[in-house]
Amino acid sequence: MKKKQMRKNHKAEVRIPFPVALTYILIFAAVFGISYVWLCTRCNQLGQDIKELETAQRAVNARWINEQDRWASMRTPANFERTLRRHGLHMHLPDTRQIILVRNADERLSLAYNSRDGRKL
Amino acid sequence: MQYKGRVILTATVVTALFAGLGTRLAFLHLKPSGNTLARIERARKMELEIRGPRGTVFDCNGHILALDAGTKHICVDPKYISRHGDLQKVLEAFEKHLPLSRTEIWKLLNQPEKQYVRVHCFARDQVVDALQTMKLGRGVIFEDAPVREYPKGVLAAHVIGFANQEGQGSAGIEQRLNTMLQGTPGIRSTLADGRRREIYSGRTVDIPPVPGKNIYLTIDQQIQYFTEKALDNLNEKYKPRGGACAIVQDVRTGKILAMASLPTYNLNRYNITPAEWMRNRAINFVYEPGSTMKAVIIASALDQGIVRQSDVYDCEKGIWYYGGRSLRDSHPEGLLSVADIVKKSSNIGAAKIALQMGDEKVYRSLRDFGFGTITGVGLPGEDAGIVWPVNKWSKISITRLAMGHEVLVSTIQLVAAFSAIANDGKLMKPYIVDRITDEHGKAVKEFTPEMIRTPIKPETAKQMRRLLARVTQSGGTGTGGAVPGYMVAGKTGTAQKVDLKNGGYLKNRYIASFIGFLPVENPAVCIIVVADDPVGAGYGGTVCAPYFKEIAEQAVRYLRIPPEGFPTEYIAPQTAQNFF
Repeated sequence: MKKKQMRKNHKAEVRIPFPVALTYILIFAAVFGISYVWLCTRCNQLGQDIKELETAQRAVNARWINEQDRWASMRTPANFERTLRRHGLHMHLPDTRQIILVRNADERLSLAYNSRDGRKL
Repeated sequence: MQYKGRVILTATVVTALFAGLGTRLAFLHLKPSGNTLARIERARKMELEIRGPRGTVFDCNGHILALDAGTKHICVDPKYISRHGDLQKVLEAFEKHLPLSRTEIWKLLNQPEKQYVRVHCFARDQVVDALQTMKLGRGVIFEDAPVREYPKGVLAAHVIGFANQEGQGSAGIEQRLNTMLQGTPGIRSTLADGRRREIYSGRTVDIPPVPGKNIYLTIDQQIQYFTEKALDNLNEKYKPRGGACAIVQDVRTGKILAMASLPTYNLNRYNITPAEWMRNRAINFVYEPGSTMKAVIIASALDQGIVRQSDVYDCEKGIWYYGGRSLRDSHPEGLLSVADIVKKSSNIGAAKIALQMGDEKVYRSLRDFGFGTITGVGLPGEDAGIVWPVNKWSKISITRLAMGHEVLVSTIQLVAAFSAIANDGKLMKPYIVDRITDEHGKAVKEFTPEMIRTPIKPETAKQMRRLLARVTQSGGTGTGGAVPGYMVAGKTGTAQKVDLKNGGYLKNRYIASFIGFLPVENPAVCIIVVADDPVGAGYGGTVCAPYFKEIAEQAVRYLRIPPEGFPTEYIAPQTAQNFF
């Protein structure tokens, strides 16, 4: 009987309640803290992502400009000529006698004529 | 009861801890002391200036002539590399991809006390890509290093000019429009972490850089190319000691389609180019033009009704004494009409016409055609030349002026004057910048044709065109400038070089030139070729006319100019668009 009573008393002592208000405060503080940290981390992560994208954009932009540069360089008339020569292509502008100018039908000179002597063909 | 006390104690301690942390947080976030705040700010704040890229320069068809290319400086942290045992790997990679010897690289890398060494500047994409794929670790750093690039190399070098490594335009359009081309730097105020890396969320000010304006020139790269090629051919044959230059101008608008000067240089290697090579002879080389000036004098005389083209002058069989000095013709002639004086380029005939005009009128004519003032073409360093006022003339000055001596002109002035004859007497302001746009392509400023004045009437201009056309026909001095299928109006110029040391003129040393326009009835383009001190020959008709022809032949085909010209307003660049 004494043993049983003692156990009962022990249980009664353990059941002392933690202050409810404090519990709420602590829970709120913990949730707030965790949310704050999570938001901070998330913001930093997003910032990091944006920065990486900015860097990538800069790199892509630089590459695009460099490609433009290369393309412009390739389209230099001297380069064209070198390339043609390398492939054994000898191109020149046509001789005046080889040029035939064709007029619009509504113009007075409606027939094709040789540009050299203005002779109608 | 005993446990209850412990719980309360624990709760109090925990609460006190949280309260302490909260207070500290509140203290730091809400109202820290001035000193603390300053210390934190100093440690974390980062001010960045972000460079605004320089604008791009295009030709009239949108071909890029100058742009800011992205390169990288390759740098190393020797301390990190040696600490992490990457030395061998980095050495081999650099040896393979950089234009440096193993010893040089070793010297740069083997400095374990240093944390920053620049190994190679302005590395291109290919090199950077190759090194980046090798994963050389954090000891190798790639720094962005924009560089001004000229993809066309020597093409239109004197027109474009260059910007130095500080991004300052130092010649040509790069210099003249430097303020337009320069971008506005952006500003970023931000926070950094312990490793001085930017914290994105800490950005308080972020003003993005504004790129510089883009410049569209009136130059056409294709016409520019064959103009330069013709000059190269001239240089190969006659090796002009003082250089050479050529200009192609649209006579109706004043647009410069090509402007070339020899010697020339590669814009990407401006730092190893002698200063003399950078001189644009088309605008800042002034010289006595010789017989090309006769066209101006005779045009004015005809315009003022002082002479008629059928009037006949005695050309004194090649030698005439006036004011105690002799005046000679290289081809002695007797009686010549005004038309033939132009065709045969008689000095005596021109001198007599000028005398008939009188000093004041000759002076006024020269000024009206734009000599003695800069044309304002839009390039730096343009020379106005010299037209002495009448009160400084000697008795014989007027006779010398008529043959293009005692007057200093620039090539661009001559082109403008001849274009006026071609353009029904309207003197147009030559210009080389077509428009300025922002980074979105919206025009900020557009340049339009500008008429300066009309030195001669349209009828006189027409008459003069026909007289000048005879110069390139059989018996004229400029037959070498004739273009098959087209009527070409032209004028040769051969002026003795001035002896700057002893005064007078140098024997057998000339400035040869040929200027002309075509087609005669509806002129579209005016072309000039000038050679300063050619070797082996001196006459403009021999030295320059063939190269005028070379340029003109290609220009009319490229611009699709029919033999009779364009009866209505001619728009040069658009007709040639997408030809290549």
